[in-house]
Amino acid sequence: MSAATEHPILDPALAPPFPAAALPVLRNVQLRKNVAHAIDVIQAKRGKLVAEKTDWQALRSAAAAIKDETLANLGAYLEQFEERCTAAGGHVHWAADAADARRIILEILREEKADEVIKIKTMTSAEIQLNPFLEAAGVRAYETDLAEIILQLGRGEPSHIVVPALHVNRAQVREIFARTMGLPDLSDDPKGLTEAARNYLRRKFLDVPTAISGANFLVAETGGVAIVESEGNGRMCLTLPRTMITLAGIEKVVPRFQDLEVMLQLLARSATGERMNPYTSLWTGVVPGDGPQNFHVVLLDNGRSSILGRKTERQTLRCIRCAACMNTCPVYRQTGGHAYGSVYPGPIGAILTPQLEHLRHAQSLPFASSLCGACYEVCPVKINIPEILIDLRARVTDQERHTVGKFFDPMYVGLRVANVIFSRAWLFHFAQWAGRIGAKVVTRRDGWIHSLPSVGGKWTQTRDLRGLPKQTFHEWWKDRERKDRD
Amino acid sequence: MSAVADSRKKVLEAIHLATGAATAGSAARNGAASAGKAAEGGAEIARGYVRRGDMTVSARHERFVERLREYDAEVVECAPEGLAAAIAAQIEASGMRKFVAPPGIPAEWYVDAARKIEGFECTLDHGLSVAEIEQAEGVLTGCFCGVADSGTIVLHHGPAEGRRVISLLPDWHLCVVRASQVVETLPEYFDRCAIREQGSEGAREQENREPEADKLPRLVTWISGPSATADIEMTRIKGVHGPRFLNVILVRD
Repeated sequence: MSAATEHPILDPALAPPFPAAALPVLRNVQLRKNVAHAIDVIQAKRGKLVAEKTDWQALRSAAAAIKDETLANLGAYLEQFEERCTAAGGHVHWAADAADARRIILEILREEKADEVIKIKTMTSAEIQLNPFLEAAGVRAYETDLAEIILQLGRGEPSHIVVPALHVNRAQVREIFARTMGLPDLSDDPKGLTEAARNYLRRKFLDVPTAISGANFLVAETGGVAIVESEGNGRMCLTLPRTMITLAGIEKVVPRFQDLEVMLQLLARSATGERMNPYTSLWTGVVPGDGPQNFHVVLLDNGRSSILGRKTERQTLRCIRCAACMNTCPVYRQTGGHAYGSVYPGPIGAILTPQLEHLRHAQSLPFASSLCGACYEVCPVKINIPEILIDLRARVTDQERHTVGKFFDPMYVGLRVANVIFSRAWLFHFAQWAGRIGAKVVTRRDGWIHSLPSVGGKWTQTRDLRGLPKQTFHEWWKDRERKDRD
Repeated sequence: MSAVADSRKKVLEAIHLATGAATAGSAARNGAASAGKAAEGGAEIARGYVRRGDMTVSARHERFVERLREYDAEVVECAPEGLAAAIAAQIEASGMRKFVAPPGIPAEWYVDAARKIEGFECTLDHGLSVAEIEQAEGVLTGCFCGVADSGTIVLHHGPAEGRRVISLLPDWHLCVVRASQVVETLPEYFDRCAIREQGSEGAREQENREPEADKLPRLVTWISGPSATADIEMTRIKGVHGPRFLNVILVRD
């Protein structure tokens, strides 16, 4: 039984393949301008700060090592976290999949008789499609992150992990706020818009007794949770309410409190191009008199344990959700996030989403890349994204090639034929000779092939091919030897 | 209830299968032990990054002030004997009169202000309600530590820093940082966590010893400038939720 879809075009089970999804976006000039502008701003800031940090590479290595160590012993660290958090007064729940997590969260809300919740932005809750599920169960979820309100009120979908509304410009925000907050005289100046959001949310923070958050890090040693933010809505949600529910992927845990000294130096610079984000909050369990007295953590698997089991792909789980990869990606720059059909877009989305879906969906995403490797260079935890993309391509192809639908697909037929030809020398030479004759048909007088039929047409749609030369290298070499002898 | 235990078992079994670790059963029994072992293994992680800074004391303080100002925090410096006067001056200049403060604040901090400023009111937080805190225009706190490299102020919410709510709701935060509390790098702050008790302001220094998990702070807030957003066209706007104004007094002690 599936919940109503939160972001229809960001559901991997329903989204069109990347090439189809990208086409309308490529035609949207305004969106491409917004995306490019946002990316340029963050990239410039990040570049400056990374250059100034002389131990940046050492930090990356340490972070990758810490994450690898954690993943290799994930069970033990999660159990340690559970023990410490529980000893400090928190309740720890385990969710095998999205449906499990939704059920657990709803049960807690029912116990609290909550019909409203305030939320700190969390990709994980979008991953499990929580909001529409709660809505259907009679619980209204209010996003409190500025970008998330813009999207919630404007019924839009996030297009970036860190700056989800980067595709929305100020005029569009003004229109959304004026309409939904009843402020017809609102200007489109960002300051005024932010003020409107501040006032709109103030009452919610003070009145709603239940909050849901994600977690940037879980600390096994102390049972603590860390949340990194800029606006202060996080602090509001984790301080004022009576009940707090933190939903966290199992890969969010780090072994020691001290490990945060590495992670937090990397995260702010990578995500927003700052030395440190304005507010970082850490809390452990329940502290009498200060903050929520009813605290729950929901640990989410939802496909992560299957990624854990694969040698090449395990590093996917190192991700700290900084979005540096998509900020540097030449493909993402042109298409923005919606084309990826997932709440996780860009390079990390291209490897994470298909895997969370057990390769049943989002199979086109590993191919949505030029393999330039820029993402690998900027990843603060050194995830070798290109390596994983290639491995996923192989797995998707293996999966596909035997299905009835693809068996007679021209490309697979062509590759099977090529396989036969390339494995017999005489057939290969014959094919070269026959190919030269055949190519004459499609080669123009200028020596170029401008258009090919069928599958070949996909190449020549945007590229020209050189016509085949008169001799193969082997033939030329034989001729040369003959000439030398004579 | 059994559904709950089932999910836990399912997840842990899937993880153990994936990592080739011990079975879920024995891991549950040895949970703490295996995590301890794992933690020991983790101590061998090569930490080639900079842990200790090498700036001089005055350069460090200058850097701290510089970085705070980059975030639009206002910073003034004073000598220890001039602290009360500096606090009074800042409050006077702000135009704010109704203040809230943690109960462990030294009374000397606000005597000058109380004497000189007409209408100044400082309510100590002995369990104030949210509605009462909402009335305050400003909050006065100490801190646990300052990190120069990133212009960060760290609160561990001890007696002189207060509950988290009082440094969150008022619009103006005046924070007193002693120069001796300022370190250069973030790792140096983590080292300090391990050796000091909570409730730093006025607390005794503990002797240098191995970090113990239960001595680590339960509540931490790191503040690096006033709240901000860049969600609308990447234009940085100060002050969304949380104090819009952060003023720092650096005491040269």
